[in-house]
This record gives sequence, C-alpha cells and structure tokens, in this order.
Amino acid sequence: MTKVLFFGATADAVGERSVEMPELAGSTAEEAIARLRNAYPLLANQKINISINQEYAPTDAIVNDGDEIAIFTAVSGG
Amino acid sequence: MDFWELTTDAIKIDDVARRVVSPECGATVTLDGYARRFTKRDGKVIETEYLVYEAYEEMALKEMQKLVERTKSEFAISNVGIVHRTGRLEIGETSVVISVAAPHRRDAFAACEQLIKELKRTVPIWKKEVYADGEAWSEGESFGDAI
Repeated sequence: MTKVLFFGATADAVGERSVEMPELAGSTAEEAIARLRNAYPLLANQKINISINQEYAPTDAIVNDGDEIAIFTAVSGG
Repeated sequence: MDFWELTTDAIKIDDVARRVVSPECGATVTLDGYARRFTKRDGKVIETEYLVYEAYEEMALKEMQKLVERTKSEFAISNVGIVHRTGRLEIGETSVVISVAAPHRRDAFAACEQLIKELKRTVPIWKKEVYADGEAWSEGESFGDAI
C-alpha cells in the first residue's frame, strides 16, 4: 500500500493530510506527481517536491509498493 | 553532544546553548530565530498576527541530522544543537534555536550561519503567516527536483 502525505500548502490544496494510493506503485516520482495533480487539480498551481521514505527523491525515482511518499512546496522553516 | 529536536513547547534558549558546551570549546554562537510582525514584500509592509509551523517530523529529524553531520565535516566545530518549534507562535516567540560550540568563535559564527541557511532550504518544516484578513503558507527557496 502506497501512502501519500501532504503538508502545508499541499494539504490545503488536497483537503487531506494523507491518502492511500496503491496505483502509484511502479510509477516514477514525476508520474506520481502527475497522477496526484489529476486527482487533486489545485496541486497544478504548486511547484512540488516529492520525498520517498523520508528522503528527497529525484523525478526519475521509482515508487514501490509500501513506500511512504510525501509531496510539498518549498520548505520555509526557521 | 549534538542534538536536533522538534517541540511544541516554548524553547528555552539557555538550555540549548548550555547543552553544547564541552571542555575543548571556548565559544558558543546561538541563533534565536523568532516570529516577526512586519515583513517587507514587493515594496509593501505586511503585518503578521501570528505564525503556525508544521513539520514532516520523521523526515525533518533525518534532514536535521544530515545537516549537522555535513556542517561538522566542513567547519572546526565541536557540538551542534538545533531545536525547532511547531504549532502556533505569537509574535516575538522563538521558532528556532541553533547553538554551535567550537574551540574558537570564528568557526562557530560561520557554521551557525550555514546551519540556518541550509535548514531553511532543506528541512521539511513550513510556516504559515496569519494576517488580520487572511493567511498564506510561506515558500522558501526551491530545493532538489521540484516540478
């Protein structure tokens, strides 16, 4: 089961903090973002980073079944 | 000893600063980052009523650890402590404390600057500014493969 987490602006755009999306397994990070934008059109307006298992992922990284992925806008702590 | 933590409680700056002290050190540089009311943006002054910070906790702790390790490999410093607060913060309340202890102050100043600069770029924490008439998630500098 692939879990997707949202934070800050992406959580507001999606209206959820986490969803299960088994269909993301096997796709690249870039494809996963495209699928999420299809499901949640407000994400189209945002420049998005993706992490896989709590590590920043390049766009060509592969999402595996059971991964925890997160999508978020540029961080702004401090 | 190095440490990196997230908390929803008020941060005690002295505690962070003293925890990094060790016998080979002669100076600690501590950054006290706190919530600002007035921000200049596009030539206008924006007034913030309060802030809300949110973290991707597991990943934030991993990124803080990497940041500490990277910085220690680049500067002649002994100990680093980072504590970041999340949740609602009133104006003037401390959001982040970074303390760097070193044998000599110069290295501690340089490392502290690098730590806050990189923390703001890489550690998954987000700040929401709440105004009298709305709110907005602040967006930092883009990092990694953002699309």
